[in-house]
Amino acid sequence: MIDLLDNLLSSKIDEEKLEKIYSHLTGLYTNGKDPWGLDIDTAKATISKLYPFYSEYFKVRLFGKDKALDRPYMVVSNHTGQVPIDAMLIGMAFALEIAPPRILRAMIDRFVTSLPFLGEWFAQTGAVLGDRQNCSKLMERGNSILVFPEGVQGVAKSTNEFYKLQKFTNGFYRLALSSGFDILPVAVIGCEECFPFVYHLKSLAKTLGLPAIPLSTNYFPLPSPVDIHIGDPISINKDLSPDATDKEINKEVLKVKSKIRSLITRGRKDQREFWAKKER
Amino acid sequence: MDLENVSSILIIGMAGNLAKITAKEIHGKNPNIKIIGVDSRKVPRSLSKLNVKFHQINYTRSHFERLFREHKFDVVLFLGRYAHVGLNILSMLTDSLDTKISGIKNIFDLCVKFKVKRIVVLSSFHVYGALPGNPLFLLEDTPLKADFKYPDIRDVVEMDKMARLWVDKHKAVETVILRPCSIVGPHIQNAITKYLTTPYAPIPMDFNPNFQFLHETDMADIILKAIDKLPPDTYNVAPDEYVTIRDAMKIVGNPTLPVPLFLIEPMAKILKKTLFKIPEYFISYLKFPCIIDNSNLHKALGDLNFRYNIKETLKYLK
Repeated sequence: MIDLLDNLLSSKIDEEKLEKIYSHLTGLYTNGKDPWGLDIDTAKATISKLYPFYSEYFKVRLFGKDKALDRPYMVVSNHTGQVPIDAMLIGMAFALEIAPPRILRAMIDRFVTSLPFLGEWFAQTGAVLGDRQNCSKLMERGNSILVFPEGVQGVAKSTNEFYKLQKFTNGFYRLALSSGFDILPVAVIGCEECFPFVYHLKSLAKTLGLPAIPLSTNYFPLPSPVDIHIGDPISINKDLSPDATDKEINKEVLKVKSKIRSLITRGRKDQREFWAKKER
Repeated sequence: MDLENVSSILIIGMAGNLAKITAKEIHGKNPNIKIIGVDSRKVPRSLSKLNVKFHQINYTRSHFERLFREHKFDVVLFLGRYAHVGLNILSMLTDSLDTKISGIKNIFDLCVKFKVKRIVVLSSFHVYGALPGNPLFLLEDTPLKADFKYPDIRDVVEMDKMARLWVDKHKAVETVILRPCSIVGPHIQNAITKYLTTPYAPIPMDFNPNFQFLHETDMADIILKAIDKLPPDTYNVAPDEYVTIRDAMKIVGNPTLPVPLFLIEPMAKILKKTLFKIPEYFISYLKFPCIIDNSNLHKALGDLNFRYNIKETLKYLK
């Protein structure tokens, strides 16, 4: 524990590398900003502050970084943990470890956009209200999108459902068809262990109009080592139109789901012990 | 229709400064056009210089019809937008709804009866509402939801809806509906201009939505283009640029008072006694973005060529 704290406090991001990454990213957006509220300077400051957590606390390992080529993708991932820190870690991995770096535009619930301070901060770091129109406009501008087709069901899972993929919605596939983007499957291993599940207060969530209220023993994540696995890009079925029937679309969605499932199975085999030290 | 072929124009809402700027632009382009201005408010000053004949009348009165009969208008510009004045919301709303809803019905009927060739209706981006579920770049066919939460904006939503229904029914009269973003300028006295130009105006420290701003002269120019260049349709009017409300305040250059959003409403109530009134609905636009898509306007006009960019628009406010 002392080692962990020591590493956390002493870990610093390579400022020169960060500067290079963000000068590249600033060039992609006019004045480093966009209409959805992205602010490259804030995103940079956030990554710089959160880097010790990424590197030393969650000891993130990224596998398959060469699978992401220099083009925009619809990044599709499993959703894990009671608090969705997986989005933050995937976003950091794509900004810091993949060439060329990119800001993944994660889709968030309207409840989050209504939160004081947090809503603005999420927007500044690249998150966007989950809406089909937002998504397609961002894709038109060449942004890679991060989606969790399991939605809230993915983060409010009980312990016996950890790493079991929930039902996928199919909207992401229709959007990929409209934009022509390939799908990049991603599996996150380690986030489920960050928040031991106690109970899901479904009726209270419904009463309060919140997407979910999963009870956990803690709301600051435990230092579980996290692995992010990127699979081979999946080409969209060009014979399908974005207005194809649900039956036709769901067939393709199942292929994506099955790819993520196999990434999870492989990832679980290589998963580190909870107290594993960082590989140096 | 070409401005050269227009002989008379009726401007409704002539007491407003945008109407005055528009009249000046029309007069500049074709001094032979006869401009008749009407408003239920007092006679504005300096209209004679603009060659505008002004009548202070109620839109629902029969002598309003006399104007149509006597002047045989080619074009009617409905620029009488809502105004947030008065302390009693209910009475204000009733009065406003009566003016706008009954008034616009009356005006539309008269336009058909007296064969007006074109009507331009000035609506607002406010009709979409600033809501948490709003995507960015709202298109013209986005449902108008502003009045769901704020009854004080119901008049403009109803007016817009009515105009659109009317367009479908009476295709013989060419109708252009304009939904501009925030119009600001040294002469405009709307809520956003007053807000931006008030020193120590409270601004939210916990939300910072993007805004689109259009200079009053550029808006007047678009109204002119709505007479002679835009095909009949509904158009969002906005530049391609945007700026966060905090950055906008910085560009204007006034000192501000950052406070949590929930405090703005009570602070605005205190401020209204000394400075100005922030309408209740306006607070939601300080929380959620309401960015409109201008591609329909681009499609009709090509490059928009606004005279002022967003920085100049805000810089010249002070």
